[in-house]
Amino acid sequence: MDASNKWERVSMDAADAERIYRKSRTFFGDVWYRFRHKPTSLLGLILVVVLLLFSCVGPFFTPYSYSEQNTKLANIPPVMTVYPGPEEGVYFYVTQALKVIEVDENGNLIRQLKKDKDDAKAKRTSFKYADGVKVYLDYSAQPNVMCDADGNRIEQGITKWNNTYLLGTDQLGRDILTRLMYGTRISLMVAFIAALVNMVIGIFYGGIAGYMGGRVDSVMMRIVDIIATIPLTLYVILIKMCLSDGMLSIIIALSSVYWVDMARVVRGEMLSLKNQEFVLAARTIGSSTRTILTKHLIPNALGPILVTVTMLIPSAIFMEAFMSFIGIGISPPMASLGTMCNDATEALRTNPYQLFLPALVICVIMFAFNFVGDGLRDALDPKLKK
Amino acid sequence: MSDTPVLQVKGLTKHFPAPGKKTVHAVDNVSFSIEKGKTLGLVGESGCGKSTCARTVIRVYDPTAGQILLDGEDISGLSQKELLPYRKKMQMIFQDPYASLNARMTVHDIVAEPLRAHKVCKTKREESEMVNDMLAKVGLNREHANRYAHEFSGGQRQRVGIARALILKPELVICDEPISALDVSIQAQVVNMLRGFQQELGLTYLFIAHDLSMVRYVSDEVGVMYLGTLVEKCEADEIYRHPLHPYTKGLLSSIPIPNPRLAQAKEKSGLEGDLPSPINPPSGCRFHTRCPYATEKCRTVEPPLVDAGNGHMVACHAVNG
Repeated sequence: MDASNKWERVSMDAADAERIYRKSRTFFGDVWYRFRHKPTSLLGLILVVVLLLFSCVGPFFTPYSYSEQNTKLANIPPVMTVYPGPEEGVYFYVTQALKVIEVDENGNLIRQLKKDKDDAKAKRTSFKYADGVKVYLDYSAQPNVMCDADGNRIEQGITKWNNTYLLGTDQLGRDILTRLMYGTRISLMVAFIAALVNMVIGIFYGGIAGYMGGRVDSVMMRIVDIIATIPLTLYVILIKMCLSDGMLSIIIALSSVYWVDMARVVRGEMLSLKNQEFVLAARTIGSSTRTILTKHLIPNALGPILVTVTMLIPSAIFMEAFMSFIGIGISPPMASLGTMCNDATEALRTNPYQLFLPALVICVIMFAFNFVGDGLRDALDPKLKK
Repeated sequence: MSDTPVLQVKGLTKHFPAPGKKTVHAVDNVSFSIEKGKTLGLVGESGCGKSTCARTVIRVYDPTAGQILLDGEDISGLSQKELLPYRKKMQMIFQDPYASLNARMTVHDIVAEPLRAHKVCKTKREESEMVNDMLAKVGLNREHANRYAHEFSGGQRQRVGIARALILKPELVICDEPISALDVSIQAQVVNMLRGFQQELGLTYLFIAHDLSMVRYVSDEVGVMYLGTLVEKCEADEIYRHPLHPYTKGLLSSIPIPNPRLAQAKEKSGLEGDLPSPINPPSGCRFHTRCPYATEKCRTVEPPLVDAGNGHMVACHAVNG
């Protein structure tokens, strides 16, 4: 254009007028764009991926199984207080059951020392370390400590990380890290399957109620109301009591109840969508009911459905943990975050880490899914579109 | 066959149930017919039953009473399944180009939906050829086909809607206020496109609008609706030159005149009052509550729609005596 005449008309032909300059993005491309530009939702997604890796890939890298017991090494914390032994690089750890375990420089547990003689008067127990070499455990005063070469109490222990059991062992000597992996796996599996089943039932039930409308809708939604008047937790517990133990029954119990929320969401969406002009258009065209449902209604209701599902997953996880905690969930020796918490309550004061670790994992799972759910809801909200 | 009007509507009535055992008299005893290749414009205030009338004709709603004859065949009592072959003959263009296109479908899928519903094409290739042809006719090209509706402007969307309505080459197209949601600059473009298609394909239009000057431009005949009834119907120019019904006069006086001198000279006979509730429509002539000439007869006797000369149909006691 000639710079001297700024008011000259810019020529524009017909093809130019029709061109769309915006990058073509599908609906879900748009959603993903908004989702990944929110830090919390991205953090949530990363956490979910990490948890999935932790629970599915993790067990391949651990030498222990979730059920393998080693009562000699029970209740060993992840951070131990050890006492130097007679040789360089040798340390001793005193267990709560007054046993002495040899620990090397790096924090690996080597062996349990054999008891030699107990001197009840002096409150001292001797242990055989090697041929002719004895070490003494003094339990005359708390805490129980080892004695040095001269027979004096070593008051100051050294702190060492447990290198054999990274997160310690529980009261039966099982590796807590391994059990956490399996527990998370069970929690996620129960949650995903329950959420999926709930989604399918909810979409069908709510979809039919919303699409048919009128009397069908009234009857179907009153049934939902009746189900929802009693706390869902109670149903789950009752259903669980009637079924046998095991994961399948927990999934059945969770999936047979939690669909009511989903049904309500889907029904509401259907009611508002079915009178939209594009659905009328599909009907005037002569599209079948199936096409209208699968091509028009459900894809347009997918946003709220997805949000409800991601919000349903943490509540299913929590429910599973809760049931396992009160003892009607996953049966031993299978690990679940709930049973781990339950087992830990017995020795809460002496071994707080046994409760803290599974509780922490439950927290992380909840955070992750709630972040993802929040992020999805914001990303799917067309009003926030830029 | 050529004498049979494409669409004949006889005594069409549509009532909706309202809460409390009441009834909304949305459309009451409406009759009209449209010859092949002609356009009937339907005008009236918001809420007078124009859109309900259109949706009942295309059988989204089931009529309460009356007949809908498409090419002489009554479709008013058919089930949705039996209607399927007739759906090919009549299509609809919607008011809101934002709401009438599914945001989750590409333009190609939207335009191809009628083809798929009626299993017109045997192969994907044939289908996309037809879709691309149709898109080219409405001024969109191949590149647009794979985009989603939300990426288009209002005018472009409405053209997608037109492409969807016309791809089956219907005989009757019902345009439910196709331009009222568009920019003025785009309105002319869309209306001219619709007229072009009418000449090219010999389409018959039932054109619903509340923009009176646009209706005059596109229509051969104009029907004026008031509170669910047809109060006046005649040739398009005639109704603008010699309106007979007091309501039509009132409506026409509401058209803004671009010339201020003429506007001042014009008599002020604008409509007063609000549209009465269709749940409990006034007895007799429904317009009597707002009519300056209302008499006792108007309050009790419902005026029939009769010919006042030269095919100028009007339903008014004052005119017909």
